[in-house]
Amino acid sequence: MSTKHLTIAVAALLLLLGAAAWAQEEATARCGDCHDQAKAFAHNPHARGQVVKGDVENAVCESCHGDATEHMQTGDKEKISVPRGRKGADETCAMCHDLTSDKRSHKMGFHASSDAVNCLSCHSVHKSEQEPLLAKNQLALCSTCHTQAASFRNRPYTHKMGRAGMTCSTCHEPHGRPGKENLKATAAGEVVCVGCHTDKRGPYVFAHGGAAVGECTNCHEAHGSSNQRQLKRANVAQLCLECHSPTATHTLGSQPPSFHNVTTARYQNCTTCHVAIHGSHRSPQLLK
Amino acid sequence: MRTRSLAKWLFLPLLFIASAAIAQSSIPIELEVGYRFADIKGNESLYRTQINEREGFVLRSFTFFTSGLGPSDEFRVDATDLGTSPTSSLRVMSARNGAYRLRLGYRSFDSFNATPAFAQHAFDRKRTMFDADLELLTFSRFTPFVGYSWSRNRGPGAMTYVLGADEFALRSDLDESDREIRVGSAFTLGKFSGQVTQGWRSLKSDERFALFEGAGAGNNAGAILGRPISADAIDRVSRTDVDAPFTNLYVMGDILPRVRVIGDYVRFSAESTGFENESSSGSFVSFGIGRFFNGLSEITASRAENNTWRGGVRAEVVITDTITFQAGYRSEHRELEGAGLINSLYRDTLTFGGLDPRSVEEVLQSTSVLNRDEDILSATVSARSVGPFSFRAGYSVANQDLEIAPDLSEIVVPGNQDGTFSRSVRTVDASATFTKRLFSIGASWRIDDADDPVMRTDFLERDRLRVRATFRTPGNAFRIGLTAEEGNQSNDRDGVNFDAGNRQLITDFEIAPVAAVRFHGSYAQFRADSVVTVRRPETFVLVPSTYTEEGESYEGGIGLVLTKVNVDASVARFDNEGSFPFTVNRYRVRAGYDFTEKMGIVGELAKDQYDETSAFGDFDARRFGLYLRLRR
Repeated sequence: MSTKHLTIAVAALLLLLGAAAWAQEEATARCGDCHDQAKAFAHNPHARGQVVKGDVENAVCESCHGDATEHMQTGDKEKISVPRGRKGADETCAMCHDLTSDKRSHKMGFHASSDAVNCLSCHSVHKSEQEPLLAKNQLALCSTCHTQAASFRNRPYTHKMGRAGMTCSTCHEPHGRPGKENLKATAAGEVVCVGCHTDKRGPYVFAHGGAAVGECTNCHEAHGSSNQRQLKRANVAQLCLECHSPTATHTLGSQPPSFHNVTTARYQNCTTCHVAIHGSHRSPQLLK
Repeated sequence: MRTRSLAKWLFLPLLFIASAAIAQSSIPIELEVGYRFADIKGNESLYRTQINEREGFVLRSFTFFTSGLGPSDEFRVDATDLGTSPTSSLRVMSARNGAYRLRLGYRSFDSFNATPAFAQHAFDRKRTMFDADLELLTFSRFTPFVGYSWSRNRGPGAMTYVLGADEFALRSDLDESDREIRVGSAFTLGKFSGQVTQGWRSLKSDERFALFEGAGAGNNAGAILGRPISADAIDRVSRTDVDAPFTNLYVMGDILPRVRVIGDYVRFSAESTGFENESSSGSFVSFGIGRFFNGLSEITASRAENNTWRGGVRAEVVITDTITFQAGYRSEHRELEGAGLINSLYRDTLTFGGLDPRSVEEVLQSTSVLNRDEDILSATVSARSVGPFSFRAGYSVANQDLEIAPDLSEIVVPGNQDGTFSRSVRTVDASATFTKRLFSIGASWRIDDADDPVMRTDFLERDRLRVRATFRTPGNAFRIGLTAEEGNQSNDRDGVNFDAGNRQLITDFEIAPVAAVRFHGSYAQFRADSVVTVRRPETFVLVPSTYTEEGESYEGGIGLVLTKVNVDASVARFDNEGSFPFTVNRYRVRAGYDFTEKMGIVGELAKDQYDETSAFGDFDARRFGLYLRLRR
């Protein structure tokens, strides 16, 4: 056989195989043939690039729903796994998301605790216009249970929630555990507040004791406040004196106060003079 | 380019790209752009402090996402409120599975504050933040990454400054930028995975101060020792540089089939240097040097360090499919050290008797040291989905030790600041949930017990109880919830007598009789009381300092989504009758109509009324926005 004939034969064979494969592929049923979610999944991060003609490969769906062959053959709804509740989330979501680049072990988080609260309570896996695949706008979503935080947001002085990407998870780690482990930290491990309020990071030569050893929330209400600058008290002198008062118990900052007459308007706002209240490089009295 | 104009600069290109994309492509895209009108009555400064939406062009929202663009198999752009808006954001994400993930973020926040309580203290600044993060070889054994963050805070401000026995109003101009570079890698090696990050952060701050025109007479009209106090000029330049390298590491290992161990460690070492040059002239008096003087030249050089490390290890044990146990230990050590040299030259001084004319130099060298150690031991057991029940119980002990040398800050009378402080806090917390079909009720309870306070308002006893019950019908056509919460904390030491408590009762509901209509509402009652003994600084008499918040919060709304029409309207009211009474009323309506599948119009109406008992801060602010909506 000449080279020319051999080439034609091989090409014909390849064409035949290609056509057969094409026909086979055309004949293969796709999840999207019946399920609209599968088509919507083309724009879903879970599609992971396995999109063909606007539809995802069956393997994408099967990664959570298990082998779909029998379900496709029979159409029986019982022949496909539909993850539900805490157990469903454990067996699907946590298979991958418990090992992501995150210090949290999601499965152990407080929000993966029960049939009432689990991954699927907050995330809409198939389609969502809210990142990261949230069932609805994050503020509305968190407020569904954390109604007390929502009522704080109605106060006049708050962070501008819902604007410029500032949401609950800007500060909170929803997959964390209760208490301080529910708060995020900066890459350097500092309190989350200084991630935006970078000018309050210090270090200062003359640090305000409360800020240096305590937390921003000693003086400020993070979720929303009735008072200016999200302070815990309407009167600044009252806030300061609650720590800066000497009594029998020796506590940090409880040294004798100056002889200011705080009944006069001039001395009711301590930060009128002590302007560098978060800390100073220049003034031991935090005056500049 | 000035960052103040960056949001506006981004506005037009995005608009152009979006219009072209909508016209030509089938890629999902949505854009809202238009003009916002504002009508503010009352205290505009307080309105700007609280809300600050102003009149002008706004790109209200922009979303663009596709499963394939160029080398990416996931590409998304989201923008909100670019243009005349107190907050703006733009995010771009591009990823290719197994190859890379790139995230770019831009955010800006207007930082305006001019409130009655802070009278001469105000600022009108803008914070601009940019982040870039690139991960390579995503979902591989090694995923190296590099990131960069930049934050700038700049703008004018006003403040007062105490000099020579009077206080003077100064204007300031701040320009401060913070940069952070981080590199590292995530890794997965057999049963172990984790991440290591090395970062470098730096801050440069430059702030200039000058006496406001006409402010030379100061806030105190009277003379001191028969001499009128006035300033002809006050000028100050302050510069601060901070360098802070940091290391962050965590490792997670599934060492046994049911046992996972997680260890983490973070260390940072921040060093700041400050330099300040101040010069002032006028007629002043100083009781510190016991003289009148006509000018002050002051040079300050300072240096401070913060060396902190924190590490912990935690074990997570899956005892059965539903029962897990966690135990962990965490330790933290922080050292703050500072040293400052303040050289003050009082020019042309006289004794209070008018004698001994000369200049007086004063040098103050000051150091401060703070060491803080904390370690926390904790254990938790969880039983999840045991029939209709879930339980969780935990116990932890946190020990703090503080050692403080003088001069940390002597905001009040110098001295007596130093000392050692120790505090140990034991915490028990438990929660339980019962879920049966459409009904769920959960309760969480926590009690803390401490041996000593570090600060006066630290609790010795604290407890909190929270209960929430919800009921919903199939398909979520109806949902109602009830939350009750109560918390108390106290410190009964003599002379402190701190006692604080808060109670909240909230009910909320959602009704969706048909898919297109949704009603929602909530009602809350709240009360918070606090009392602690304080010493009046003018009389040294001990008196109780009390603070109360008490009131109600209402919120209700309707959502309507039809083929061409959508409406979202809500009303909220917040009443506080406590120590600082006020009322806030908020009204929001957002209505859209689609002329065609690709084009529509959206109107937004927002009204905020703020009423204090003293009418000084009241405002009534109405905004109306009209936006063109384009989508494909």
